[in-house]
Amino acid sequence: MNPYDLINSLSGLLILTSLLVIETKKIRLSAIYYMVQSLVLVLIFLALATIMHAEQLYWWAASAFITKALLVPYVLNRAQRLMADAEPPKAAVSPSVSLLLAAVSLVISFIVINQLDLKIAAEFRPALAVSVAHFFFGQLCILTQRNLLKQVLGFCLMENGSHLTLALLAHDAPELVEIGIATDAVFGVVIMVVLAVQIYKNLHTLDAASLTSLKG
Amino acid sequence: MYTPYLSWLLLAPVILSLAIIAAQRVGWRKMLLVEILHLVSISSALVLGLLVLRGVMTQGSVIALSDWLHVDALAAVFLLIVIVVGFLVGVYSIGYIRNDVKTGELSEDRVSVYYALFSLFLFTMLLVVTANNIIMMWVAVEATTLGSAFLVGVYGHRSSLEAAWKYVIICTVGVAFGLYGTILVYSDAVNFMQQPGAAILWTEIVKNAKALDSTLLKLAFVFVLIGFGTKAGIFPMHAWLPDAHSEAPSPVSALLSAVLLKCALLVIIRFSIILNQGIGPEFTHNIFLVFGALSVASAALFMFVQRDIKRLLAYSSVENIGLIVLGLGIGGAAGVLAALLHTINHSLVKSLMFCTSGNILMKYHTRDLGKVKGMLQAAPFTSLLLMVGALALVGSPPFNIFVSKFSIISAGIHAGHLILMIVCLLFLAVVFVAFLRVISSTVFGELPEGVARGEFKPYILAPVAILMALIVVLGLYLPPQIHLLLNQATQVALVGEPMVDALNLLAERGGAFLPLVQLGIAP
Repeated sequence: MNPYDLINSLSGLLILTSLLVIETKKIRLSAIYYMVQSLVLVLIFLALATIMHAEQLYWWAASAFITKALLVPYVLNRAQRLMADAEPPKAAVSPSVSLLLAAVSLVISFIVINQLDLKIAAEFRPALAVSVAHFFFGQLCILTQRNLLKQVLGFCLMENGSHLTLALLAHDAPELVEIGIATDAVFGVVIMVVLAVQIYKNLHTLDAASLTSLKG
Repeated sequence: MYTPYLSWLLLAPVILSLAIIAAQRVGWRKMLLVEILHLVSISSALVLGLLVLRGVMTQGSVIALSDWLHVDALAAVFLLIVIVVGFLVGVYSIGYIRNDVKTGELSEDRVSVYYALFSLFLFTMLLVVTANNIIMMWVAVEATTLGSAFLVGVYGHRSSLEAAWKYVIICTVGVAFGLYGTILVYSDAVNFMQQPGAAILWTEIVKNAKALDSTLLKLAFVFVLIGFGTKAGIFPMHAWLPDAHSEAPSPVSALLSAVLLKCALLVIIRFSIILNQGIGPEFTHNIFLVFGALSVASAALFMFVQRDIKRLLAYSSVENIGLIVLGLGIGGAAGVLAALLHTINHSLVKSLMFCTSGNILMKYHTRDLGKVKGMLQAAPFTSLLLMVGALALVGSPPFNIFVSKFSIISAGIHAGHLILMIVCLLFLAVVFVAFLRVISSTVFGELPEGVARGEFKPYILAPVAILMALIVVLGLYLPPQIHLLLNQATQVALVGEPMVDALNLLAERGGAFLPLVQLGIAP
């Protein structure tokens, strides 16, 4: 198999796992799908490292494995156990609507990336479009899901998308930059999860739609 | 020789934040120890920051960490705001938090967390204004959200947790757009600059801006504006701001409004400079004018119907950020300088107002303007502070905001935006009415039963009194150092254009209508 095809196929897998993360009702299962997706992302980093002879991407793969495939699913699972008896809130829109929105954002991403004069190998363009679409999938998840932990997963999806964009367009940036972005992402997840737990303990809900005391 | 000061400026708050966490484990006089460490943290930031400023004034810029940190005159203006407001609000925090402990709002353990996060938040804002590496700028802005999220929700009430959640979600989603803008600029720059280490530095990108692709630059700027504009509170990305500002402890509200919004704005200014260099200023100017005017207009309407004093102040921040963005959109030496002057002035007035609203909360235990009455009898000095702050905010002379608001409008008229400026003035009149209503309803009237008479302790009033003094002084006189700094900062923003004394230009244009500016520039 052509190495570029491998990367583009793996990118396709990212889309599939994203949709599973968004549409699965149980947080535990969503976190597992997220873990699978992060492993796919690690594989993409490894493939890119080999093709582009970018040694630093091996490090990116290692740090993504530790933070995204192990740490984040672990934190989400712990939080889910603390809130095991919570009634999971329903999504704001039906699965068919959110799938349609995902498809629209994918098409738009492909059109926009093809219009841009980016100095990137044409072979990587599909992967780049997927990474941008993935970023929008994360936003879609935050907008359409009312479960606070699902919104955290939405942030994680966004973050995976922008991480892939970064690997494709800015993999030669100094190492410290990647460390900074990865640290922000991990702290972001931890802080959101702690806040969600506090909200559940104080307000006995995980439903973002019930957070409506502040208006105007 | 100033490099070590810059490194320590960033290291000190982090070390002291860790020390505060460690001090939590000490049993004996824990509160006092934590307060001392907090004072050391804010004082060291003030002193080291002033030393870095001296470096900027004498040698043009200060760099550290292989150019990753870089303070030029433009950054120095924002650094000045971070350290001065950070120090004064930090001192005010001590009295405010002691009161929270006394009334049972905060436990002693939470106090340590509060002060540790305060220093950490200060560090993240210092990192934003001193960063030269554009991706690090993004990392720092994102870190400000993470550093302040628990500060917003520190009380653990229903409404404060709700505000903290909205703050984190809206800002992380918004700021993520900023990362795309940043990556687009970097990936384009690295193609012709060859050296990835240089292509990531703002100072290097500006030098090579003409070689950047114009379509990419425009797209990147839209992403940057959505991303960092969310953090800066520009309409319509401001949705998190009224909730977070009103639910946070008052000193944190002051930091969010007076400092954080400006830090995000600096990043937008940095990117606009790249664009102006690369494709000319027309694109950014038009965008700034539209978003600035929309922010002023929408905020004025929201303010008119507000009954909660802190939400009113929050919308006033959106209005003033709008004015600053308008100044940037007007452009030229006069517009940019007026915008920078307004940035400083608004920071001082808004921190005074949030601290005063903190005093109101301590006295009346409510933010509802319908219930706060008779302040003149309850706390006369605090009501003086409130009157000065409110009059300054609406732009009345002889206070500092009068000078900068007038300068922005005057620069706008001279740049040919007469109708836009008239529309803005109409909305500013709405703001004027909103704040006059605040003064008349809170300061005067019958003191409600159960509200104790008696002024606050001097250590609560002193930092706010200093803010008031600065507001009055800067309304009448601009010290030559600030005059020079503002001119140099304008020069950085208008890189490549001939050097002019922008402040004198403003004064001349204001003519007889701007006696206070004239007075201000007199040495």
